[in-house]
Amino acid sequence: MERTDRDEVFVEYTKSICPVCKVVLDAQVNLRGGKVYLRRRCPDHGEIEALVYGDAQAYMGSARFNKPGTVPLAFQTEVSGGCPLDCGLCPEHKQHACLAIIEVNTGCNLDCPICFAASGHQADGYAITMGQCELMLDAYVKAEGEPEVVMFSGGEPTIHPKILDFIDAARARPIGNIVLNTNGIRIASDRDFVKALKDRGVTLYFQFDGFDEATHLAIRGKDLRERKRRALDACAEAGVPVLLVAAIERGVNEHEAGPIVQYGIAHPAVRGVVFQPVTHAGRHTEFDPLTRLTNSDVIALLCEQLPDWFGPGDFFPVPCCFPSCRSICYAITDGTGVVPVPRLLNMEDYLDYVANRVLPDPQVKQALEKLWSASAVPGSAASEASLECAACGTGLPETLAGLAGKAFMIVMQDFQDAYTLNVRQLMKCCVEQVTPDGRIIPFCAYNTVGYREQVRAQMSGVDVPPDVPNATPLQPLLTAGPYGSKIAGNGNGACAGAPRTATSTGKRLP
Amino acid sequence: MTAQAPETGQAKACCAAAYDSDLVALVLGDAYHPGGAVLTRRLAGHLSLAPSARVLDVASGPGSTALLLAREHGVAVDGVDLGEKNLARARAAAETAGLAGRVLFHPGDAERLPFPDAVFDAVVCECAFCTFPGKEAAAAEFARVLRPGGRLGITDVTLIPGRLDERLAGLAGWVACLADARPLEEYERLLAGAGLRVSRTERHDGALAGMIGQIDARLRALLLARRAAPSPGALAALDQIDVGAILEMTALAREAVSAGTLGYALLVAGKPGAGRG
Repeated sequence: MERTDRDEVFVEYTKSICPVCKVVLDAQVNLRGGKVYLRRRCPDHGEIEALVYGDAQAYMGSARFNKPGTVPLAFQTEVSGGCPLDCGLCPEHKQHACLAIIEVNTGCNLDCPICFAASGHQADGYAITMGQCELMLDAYVKAEGEPEVVMFSGGEPTIHPKILDFIDAARARPIGNIVLNTNGIRIASDRDFVKALKDRGVTLYFQFDGFDEATHLAIRGKDLRERKRRALDACAEAGVPVLLVAAIERGVNEHEAGPIVQYGIAHPAVRGVVFQPVTHAGRHTEFDPLTRLTNSDVIALLCEQLPDWFGPGDFFPVPCCFPSCRSICYAITDGTGVVPVPRLLNMEDYLDYVANRVLPDPQVKQALEKLWSASAVPGSAASEASLECAACGTGLPETLAGLAGKAFMIVMQDFQDAYTLNVRQLMKCCVEQVTPDGRIIPFCAYNTVGYREQVRAQMSGVDVPPDVPNATPLQPLLTAGPYGSKIAGNGNGACAGAPRTATSTGKRLP
Repeated sequence: MTAQAPETGQAKACCAAAYDSDLVALVLGDAYHPGGAVLTRRLAGHLSLAPSARVLDVASGPGSTALLLAREHGVAVDGVDLGEKNLARARAAAETAGLAGRVLFHPGDAERLPFPDAVFDAVVCECAFCTFPGKEAAAAEFARVLRPGGRLGITDVTLIPGRLDERLAGLAGWVACLADARPLEEYERLLAGAGLRVSRTERHDGALAGMIGQIDARLRALLLARRAAPSPGALAALDQIDVGAILEMTALAREAVSAGTLGYALLVAGKPGAGRG
């Protein structure tokens, strides 16, 4: 008998979940055809595989940018069921929170076809009270001491009647920066509100997916182009710094990555762009898990579209989280010319935590760690100081430091969904959701394992069936859920959880 | 600067002068040679450096290689360079690093090294051999100052003759590296001709491409800074040169690297004789 070789390189043994019944499963990561795949088998729902990184070499190379985590000052739970069922944070979590998200409501003034939170005009959602907001902020402060960033999100947080009070409550605590997530609709029409945000030093995390009408209709269900333009101009006028946040989906707006960056660099209000391959949680269009977009794919798209400005080597993995989760580039620019900061420094000399080297300059290292972090807020005083320090590390004259301080940030962030969830990454997640009862749950656990549904049910008093990703291979198992996302039909999700087997823990959230 | 390759004899002085200038220091930053500290560490790894070893760094520039070897391998290093400013800069860096007792910098010519025979356990020469007009003489000097069993480590620019774009002649006049660089095989022959045994050669063309990219980025950054600054200040030197022309050359140089015409290589050779103690 002739023996054959496998068509893949086995590189990790880890845990994941079944995207249908959410039971915790052993999983493996394999390299195949230059790409990285996560695979597991559910006793009830069969083999599940997803593309998790489009460039195997970059994935393996990113391992050296893995920084030792910092222990939070307080944990909220104990270890009992094992990751990801003990959130959180449990004492086994490897990293503190660089950024915490407080979702103030489930209601939204849009009903986008793509929304990981499945928000919209819904009668049975919830909105948090001032007391709950204070409890959430206090839990964050207790865990972090002096937290770096809090982000208010939703739903659409700008329609919560108490949003400015919540921001003031955050400002009254030792929290470095306040970021407000928004679709921009209120920003476009309410100048007093924009001024109130300016007065409170708020940075906007501004949903912005492209310029084509078709993009707007596919992702937002409405042509919002004129309102986006008016909102950004209002921010420029008032001096509110903005990060454009683009959800990128295969076959929808891949061609808009370059134009979004060009537009952002030329716009006086915009300090950076965050690209997020669409997280297949909540509502989204049908997708193929084996050809979905990953960070390296979006980097490649951007570099193809702006070859004179960026190359793949300009994007460096972020060391605070798991390095394959997020990559960042800063670019020094005067609105016309662009120079990526990583070309001016030998980044590996500072951010390689595996090769044990003599430090070139601890101050520059610290500045780069702050910049290549989930807590970096471009336009903030801390970020500008770090950029100026990094510019010093290049040995270029001081005149450059001022310009460097205003460097433009580009982020690639692939949030995990129930199809791509790798517990290895989750255990070091540094972007956390604070729940109204004061737990701190990794964002990618909150969206995948069932925590979001639990919290919504507790807060609204209405049962919420668990979301299932709208993946092509799962179509026969899916049916429409109450908020437009897919749920398991035919009792598939309601199965009592898969039995415990050699590769399944048999456990899921109660 | 002329558009022709500098005459033999001028090249060395021209190169040393170019490396000595503030503008070049600004554009090159700490990366005086392709591959930076990572490649220097790799080279050092092939030299079997014991902490008691005495090492010579030929064309030591601002002292980065000499200081790295002293810091990470505990060796004593002598650096020689033709440029006075570089020597002063290197001495100051040694002082700052607290290594002034173990790392000394001397004025000196690679073709007439100011040291007796057979005193060094290792000789290194990074990104400089290509600029020496008398390569046979320099190779013979390396061999002479090495003790039997000692090792030579070189990293350098390689060039396939006759294939370089004419317009790069301007760049050749600027940094001189390109003017008299040779193919890797010829460096091997030169070292063998001096009685050294080449034990290892490695291509590191990516290191050169990376450095060209870095020069290009630093120049662009300086241009942005110059445009933003109300008065030229430290960037006055930028107004005296044709940055656009240099950027055109960095683009050509990058193309030459990807075509295999220009490259960077690492060579290790040994001086035959007694084994190491």
